[in-house]
Amino acid sequence: MTGPAPESRLVALAAGLRAAGVPVGTGQVALMARAAALAPGDLYWAGRATLVNRADDIPVYDRVYRELLGSGAPRVTRTRREHATIRGTPFDAVSGVPVDAPPPDAALASPTEVLRRTSFARCGEDELARLARLMARMRLRAPERRTRRRRPSRGGEPDLRRTLRRAFRTGGEPLDRAWRERRRRRRRVVLVIDVSGSMSGFARGLLLFAHAALRGEPRWEAFVFGTRLTRVTRMLDHPSPDEALRRAASAETDWEGGTRIGQSVRDLLDRHGGLLRGSVVVVLSDGLDVGDPEILRHAMRRVHRLAHRVVWLNPLKEHPDYAPLARGMAAALPSVDVFASGHDLHSLEMVAAAIAAL
Amino acid sequence: MVRRVEFATPDALETALAERSYLADRGLAVTAFLALKLGRPLLLEGEPGVGKTELARTLAAAMGLRLIRLQCYEGIDAGQALYEWDYARQLLHARALQDGAAAGGAGELYGPEFLVERPLLAAVRAGDRALLLIDELDRSDDEFEAFLLEVLADFQVTIPEIGTIAAERPPVVVITSNRTRELHDALKRRCLFHWIDYPDVARETEIVRLRAPGVSEALAASVARAVALLRDADLIKPPGPAESVDWARAVDALGFASLELEVAEATLGALVKNPDDVHAARRALARDLARE
Repeated sequence: MTGPAPESRLVALAAGLRAAGVPVGTGQVALMARAAALAPGDLYWAGRATLVNRADDIPVYDRVYRELLGSGAPRVTRTRREHATIRGTPFDAVSGVPVDAPPPDAALASPTEVLRRTSFARCGEDELARLARLMARMRLRAPERRTRRRRPSRGGEPDLRRTLRRAFRTGGEPLDRAWRERRRRRRRVVLVIDVSGSMSGFARGLLLFAHAALRGEPRWEAFVFGTRLTRVTRMLDHPSPDEALRRAASAETDWEGGTRIGQSVRDLLDRHGGLLRGSVVVVLSDGLDVGDPEILRHAMRRVHRLAHRVVWLNPLKEHPDYAPLARGMAAALPSVDVFASGHDLHSLEMVAAAIAAL
Repeated sequence: MVRRVEFATPDALETALAERSYLADRGLAVTAFLALKLGRPLLLEGEPGVGKTELARTLAAAMGLRLIRLQCYEGIDAGQALYEWDYARQLLHARALQDGAAAGGAGELYGPEFLVERPLLAAVRAGDRALLLIDELDRSDDEFEAFLLEVLADFQVTIPEIGTIAAERPPVVVITSNRTRELHDALKRRCLFHWIDYPDVARETEIVRLRAPGVSEALAASVARAVALLRDADLIKPPGPAESVDWARAVDALGFASLELEVAEATLGALVKNPDDVHAARRALARDLARE
C-alpha cells in the first residue's frame, strides 16, 4: 500500500462521503476500521459494506473512493435501470424552441435540464406566506383500508387469547367471549408534482398544498418531476412551510425546465413501484408532455393497476372550454379516476374532500 | 452436535459457497465474511431473483447451521414472529384440571409445553447453532421493524409467565429486502449492506451450468447472453438468474442443444412473467436471434 497511513485514509473516505451527502455515523467508521483490518485486500468492499446502506448511495461511494483512494475500486456493472431512450424532442425551456435530442449519456448534463434553484426559493414570499397560512387548516384524509393486524372489538372474529384469559375467571368455562377485528389504516397518498416550465406558476402553490395537506399524515410520499423524477418526501417533512419549500427547491431536479411525464411516471414505477400498491396517487400536471404519449399511456395504465385510485389535477382545466387534447393528457386520461383542476385553493379543497370519499 | 464451520478468509467462504452451487461475487463474499467476523446482521438488497434468499440457505448449509426463516408480510406482529400460547390446549388443560382428570395447579397453564415457538424465539434458543433469515423485511410495517431492532440488539426475549430467554452467542442473521420501502436508518446502521447485482454473462453462464447440470455449455452461454440482452430491453420485470436457470432447463427439456428462435419463443413463459414484457421480449429476441 502506498500513500498515507491506512487509518487516515479510512477517515478521509468517511469524511468524503459525508461531504457528498451520504450520512455516515461514527459507529460506522469504527466498524469500517475493524472491517478493513479483517479484509485488508478488499478495502473497497470493506468500506462499501459498512459505510453505505442504500443502493442509491453506491455510485456516490464509487466516485468518492476513486477520488480519494484512486485505483483499487473494482469495475462494477450497474444494473439499476436508467431509461436511456428519449423519444420526442425536448424543448429549450427559455425559448420554447425544440433543441436536438442529446445523446442518452449526456442527458444529465444537457442544457435542456435547466437547474434553476434560486427562482423558486426567492419568488413571491408574501403570497406564499398568506397561502401557507390558509393551507395550514387543510387536511388531506386518505381513504382507509383494512390491515392484517387485529384489535379488540365488540364483534368480528373470536379472540382466543382474551377469551381464555376470561375463561379462568369462570372456572375454565369460556362464558364471556372476546372478539377482535382487523385494524383500519389510512391508505398512503403519493403526490407526483410537475415542476416543469409550463407549470411554474402553479408548482409553488401545489407544493404548499402537498406540505400542508399531508403534514401529520404518517404515510405519504411526494415526488417532483420535470425531465426526471426526484423524491422530495424527506425535504418536505418540516413543520415550517417556508423551510420545507426551500429544502425541496434545493433538490437536484430541473425546476422550470422541460417535461417528460411518461419517463417520469415510468421511473416512479420502476424505482418506487412498491409504494404505489394500494395507495392513492395524485398527479399534479398540465399534461403537456414532449415525450412519446405511448410511454405515458402505458405507464399510467400500470399505475392504475397498482394504485387504489388515481387522481389527476390539471390547472388548465380551470378554463371552462378546456378539453384534454394535449397528447399526453389524452393518453393518461383513460387511467384516471378523478380528473379535476386544482389551480386555486378552493378547487384543492374540493379535491381533498373527493379523495377522502374514494 | 455438528461443529459450526468458520471461514478464515473471504476466499474460503466463496469456495464453500461454490461447493454448494452458489456463485457469489467478490463483494458479496467479502461482505458476508465481514458480517460473520464482526457479528453483524447481513442486509441484502437487489432485484428479485438475484439469489438473496438462496445465499442465506447456502450459507447455513455451508456453516452447518440450522436455517430459521422468518418470512415477513404486511401486518406481521410479535405473536407471529416470537411466540404464542396454544390457547386451545390451554383451555382443554384447564377443563381437565377442573374435572380432576389432570394433576397440578393452574400455574402450569403457562408452562413451556403450551408455548408455540415462532422463528425469533427459535433463533434465540438455538443461538449460534442457527442462521436466522429475515426474509423481505420491507413488507412488514414500521412497528414490526422497531420491535425487530430490539430483538436483534440483545437477542433476548422476555416471556412474562416463564422468564427471560437469552442467546449465549447470537445466531448469524441475514436480512433481505426488495426495497418496496426504505428500512429505518437505525436498523441499517447495525447491518453490513450489500446490493446484489445481476451477474455478468460469464458468471451467469456458470450459474446456469451449476444449477442445471444437464444443460450444455453452449446452451448455457446463449441463454446467459440472451437474458443479458433482455435486461437491457426495458422490461417491466427483468428476469433474474433464477429465471435464466428455469429457461435453460425448459429449452433443454424440449431437447434443444442451442437457443433457436422457435424454441426460445415457446419457452418464454419460464423467463418473462408479464404480458406486456412477453411482446417486448419476443421482439428483442427475434432481432437478436435472426442476426445470427
